[in-house]
Amino acid sequence: MSAAADTAAPPAPAAAGRRRALPGRDALLGAAGAAAFLLLWEAVPRTTAVSAEFLPPASRVLATLAERAATAAFWGAVGDTVAAWALGLAIACAAAVALGFAVGSVPVLRAYTASTVEFLRPIPSVALIPLAILVYGTDLRSTLLLVVYASFWQVYIQVLYGVADIDPVAEQTARAYGLGRWACLRHLVWPTALPYLLTGVRLGAAVALILTITAQLTIGAPGLGQQISVAQSSGAAPLVYALIVATGILGVAVNAGVRALERRLLRWHSSVRGEAAV
Amino acid sequence: MRHRTLAAAGAAAVLAASGCGGGEPDGGDGARAVTVGAIPIVDVAPLHLAVDQGLFADRGLEVEVVNTSGGAQAVPGVASGDFDFAFGNVTSLLVARDAGLPMKVVANGVATTGEQGADFGGIVVPEDSPIESAQDLEGATVAVNNLENIGDTTVRNSVRKDGGDPAAVEFMELPFPDMPAAVEKGEVDAAWVVEPFLTTALDGGATEIASNFVDAHPRLTIAAYFTSEQVLAEAPELVADFTSAMDEALAYAEANPEEVRRILGEYTEMDQTLIEEIRLPSFPPAADRESVQTIADLMEEDGLVEETPDVEALFAESG
Repeated sequence: MSAAADTAAPPAPAAAGRRRALPGRDALLGAAGAAAFLLLWEAVPRTTAVSAEFLPPASRVLATLAERAATAAFWGAVGDTVAAWALGLAIACAAAVALGFAVGSVPVLRAYTASTVEFLRPIPSVALIPLAILVYGTDLRSTLLLVVYASFWQVYIQVLYGVADIDPVAEQTARAYGLGRWACLRHLVWPTALPYLLTGVRLGAAVALILTITAQLTIGAPGLGQQISVAQSSGAAPLVYALIVATGILGVAVNAGVRALERRLLRWHSSVRGEAAV
Repeated sequence: MRHRTLAAAGAAAVLAASGCGGGEPDGGDGARAVTVGAIPIVDVAPLHLAVDQGLFADRGLEVEVVNTSGGAQAVPGVASGDFDFAFGNVTSLLVARDAGLPMKVVANGVATTGEQGADFGGIVVPEDSPIESAQDLEGATVAVNNLENIGDTTVRNSVRKDGGDPAAVEFMELPFPDMPAAVEKGEVDAAWVVEPFLTTALDGGATEIASNFVDAHPRLTIAAYFTSEQVLAEAPELVADFTSAMDEALAYAEANPEEVRRILGEYTEMDQTLIEEIRLPSFPPAADRESVQTIADLMEEDGLVEETPDVEALFAESG
């Protein structure tokens, strides 16, 4: 969402280099950080700062989560959330790729749409909730509208940058060798734009998950968000936090999944090659 | 090759997208599928009991209750045709009619217990608050779940009845689930809160100073099940069957409070001890139109509607 993220290029080689130098240490630090966070969470409700009734300690929340994880209803909700997220992200990516390549390859078209895009892009998807309910009611399409709108721009902007980043020498070479329009797209534009596209997908995936949960929470579409809302209106604080933790875990899984995809699809790219050459 | 895989995935996604959003499945064995939107709170226990006891099935209705996450979706949900019926408070329904969304009440919903200090909703203040009565709310900030709705109109009425100036009361919007904590921490001077959060607030040390529903009317009808004029005109038999099932469910709930508490454990996530502790509302089979008129008068006084509400027109059946 930030300005820096908009122009985020593929993983910088510098970062990869640092990771290479200290294998395992980052993971260890990460685990220690998580443990410290849990300890703090466990301790705070036992002080007078906040009542355990409104912020139950971590142990109680995790126990509730474990209890829930044994029920079919929980996994049904996870399934609904993942399905809405995946479908929304897929639609956004497909649309962003199609439009991004089309608009990005025609400089006039790009300039012509730039101001409109810059106007539409910052509109928070959440502001569209009343519109979504009005048009689609409470069914899946409402959720999709919000998810697609939010994640589309993330991917679209990256695709535009990617398409614009073609090496002029490579382009002239392609022209000199008489590559056709299709071959040019396949061998020049697509490989150039792919790292950008995947960065967009990674950013879009996180935003899509946020909007999926938000839609379920506020519109009442089935899924983890709706379960949070039911738990909230029942005053079941431990369950509210347990479900929030579940959405957090889902977020981590989504990010890890997209990163794995990125590494796989970009095996040939210098940023990933550098990382893999340990 | 890899690029082709991604392209194929994109194409599949587009196909999947176009394949989604099919029509509503009908009951199959001739049962009529009905969708009812209802917020999962204590008030709608009779609706869930009706499903649980087969009262809808007896009449050939296959009812799916959709949990809405707030009352705000009920009217748009019915207006858009997503829900055949929904649960909503009478203030929202009168406002909807005023705004040109003709909703019709087809079954009663929930009513006050009529007992001061023993209703399912009330005004609470933090422990050791100097506020002791509704009149003392002058100059205070009172939390309500929605501004310009049944909460603030009835709280103003309580202040007025107690000899205070309702214009001197400040209201702020806060979701019910957040009220007990806000009261306990003294972030608000008072809160209008309903069960189960009333019990939670009282357990946390809050003091109940007034029963605003009872103050408004001892038999106050607070909410009801409604549909749109369109559904009423197109499927009068469906509506009649729904009404008859709900009437029976309301009578059953009123006669069997232990059944209400049992079903609360099914459709809400409330703690079992809390379920045993809370005060149940009253579930009379018929709405009290005189009390709805009271609400309409309060709404007009507070300027919630443009025109004088026609209470009789709100009901599908003439009283």
